[in-house]
Amino acid sequence: MSAWTRIRSWSPYPEIAAVAIVALVIPLLLPELTFYMTLLLAAIVVTSLSLFMGYAGQAALGQGAFVAAGALTVGVFTVQWHLPPWLGLVCAPIVAGLFAALVGWPLLRLRGHYLAFGTIAVLLLVQALMGVVPLFGRGIGLNGIPPLIALPIEDAQTRNATLKLIYVVIAVVVLVVSLLVSHRVVASRFGRGIRALAGSETAAASAGVPVLGSKLRVFVLAAVFAGFAGALTAFYFPFVNPESFPAEQSFEYVIMAVVGGLGTLWGGLLGVVVVGVLLRLLNDLASLPDMPAILGPSLQYAGYGIVLVLVLLFMPKGLIPTITSAVQRRRSRP
Amino acid sequence: MTLFITFLISGLAVGCAYALVGSGFVVVHRVTHVVNFAQGSFAVIGGMLASRLITGGVPHGVGELVAILVAGAAGLAVGAIILSRPGTPPFVALLIGLGLVFIALAVNILVFGQNPAPSVPIVQGAVDILGARTEWQRLIVVPVTLVVFAGLALFFERSDLGRAMTATASNPRAARLVGIGYRRMGLAAFTIGGLLGGIAGVLIAPSQQISPYADMALAISGFSAAVFGGLSSPWLTLAGGLILGVVGQLLQGYGVGSFQTQVSLLLMLAIMIIRARALNAQEEAK
Repeated sequence: MSAWTRIRSWSPYPEIAAVAIVALVIPLLLPELTFYMTLLLAAIVVTSLSLFMGYAGQAALGQGAFVAAGALTVGVFTVQWHLPPWLGLVCAPIVAGLFAALVGWPLLRLRGHYLAFGTIAVLLLVQALMGVVPLFGRGIGLNGIPPLIALPIEDAQTRNATLKLIYVVIAVVVLVVSLLVSHRVVASRFGRGIRALAGSETAAASAGVPVLGSKLRVFVLAAVFAGFAGALTAFYFPFVNPESFPAEQSFEYVIMAVVGGLGTLWGGLLGVVVVGVLLRLLNDLASLPDMPAILGPSLQYAGYGIVLVLVLLFMPKGLIPTITSAVQRRRSRP
Repeated sequence: MTLFITFLISGLAVGCAYALVGSGFVVVHRVTHVVNFAQGSFAVIGGMLASRLITGGVPHGVGELVAILVAGAAGLAVGAIILSRPGTPPFVALLIGLGLVFIALAVNILVFGQNPAPSVPIVQGAVDILGARTEWQRLIVVPVTLVVFAGLALFFERSDLGRAMTATASNPRAARLVGIGYRRMGLAAFTIGGLLGGIAGVLIAPSQQISPYADMALAISGFSAAVFGGLSSPWLTLAGGLILGVVGQLLQGYGVGSFQTQVSLLLMLAIMIIRARALNAQEEAK
């Protein structure tokens, strides 16, 4: 309980501002933005997923379904219906949120491993739909998504680089908003209600917490941010196809959330950075000359697995709570 | 009619494989309340190792047996890790299992490569059943599965270890009071889960190409079958597997398209949501 009281009394706004500034400076120093952008997009998804998993005490293993919903909104709006790109960006989180409300209403009655498998099922069904529905590109996908802003720059290379920088900046803004919203949720009366859920649903229900409604609201909130991330994915890469959102990616989100620490404000971000950078290093190691081709995927999966198992066995609360309590113990020592 | 028989038989064969993987979920869940994500990985190990051994010159029978035993050992190892910390909540155990799926996948890719295992049928040839030409390999899956399920039932009802496991499943505290260790029973359950997964893999590898990446699909199909039995009844799991297999193959056969997995997913979702209250009560009780 003490961890929660501490979070509430402590204002994270200076830290969030600092993160925003650092996140905006980094891309100016990088020669290539794609890896950084994937980290940012993952951080947007994982921050709110961590909130859902920490507070509902449930695993959502198919968050990619809502990322896909956001990306498909952009793809369908622009490529199929030729609507203005900004409209796609605005509607993507709304569509993802509505989709989450629709599937969450029956799905969130499930608990534990049933919900875990249920959420995977939703993701796999979304992938299957993307493979057969003509509106979603029927297997080929939606290609050639137009840029969000028509930049008046002649040189194609400069124009592309500037566009990618703009997408990175938007992603940073969305990430900051997700951190602020998460903080507000944690600090609110509603937040106290959903925290009670993680302890015992029966106890929370008897204390007057609307169990299904509360879970559904956090689930929808997480989907809204996942939808935002999906929209930015669609603009950045610029295509959407059934292979864009593999199940492994959704598991990766969960691994990142668990490693950082579920239900904490900074856990998602830290988990994304630690796991993302570790996997990148393993990937670089595997692509050194003289390394067998098979080593790449093998090292990547071993990286996921070993990190997840070690963290769950030896610091099951994740990095952030473990670090905070270690710091506190040191401080309280006379 | 001939066509119908063909689809029915291949559906039964597919369904039996689902049921075997699913029965592994059931055995582990009954005793430990853990859903072991790595259940599909055991089938991959069994199927790919059998193929590798037999193409390497090991005679039929020995190769399959060794592969099944190795899958059982993998089950024991997975169990030892998942149960290594007493008091781990099932939610955390599920995620540890997910981590172990990734580790198993990494090892499988290193050992077997990324391509599907070459098919080495246990029995050659084909037979006519009511005019439908069926390979023996597909056909033997059904009796073997029935024998395994009957053996499983006998094991839980008659053998000392099986009865001790059933006792732990229904009341871990009382079982401990009479000297039945939860951890020992849990490890036994995981080992049996590994063996069952290995048997499934050995049986389906010759007719369905299995690669290391088949783990997740196998786990999901097995879980779907196990959901029919509320993760606790082996016979309902068998029924569930057969329903999923036959419905999927009939849809595919009559040109609706290859939606075997999607059919399983939809039926699984429907059953879970309809039975949510009962399933949750069972979760809460543990």
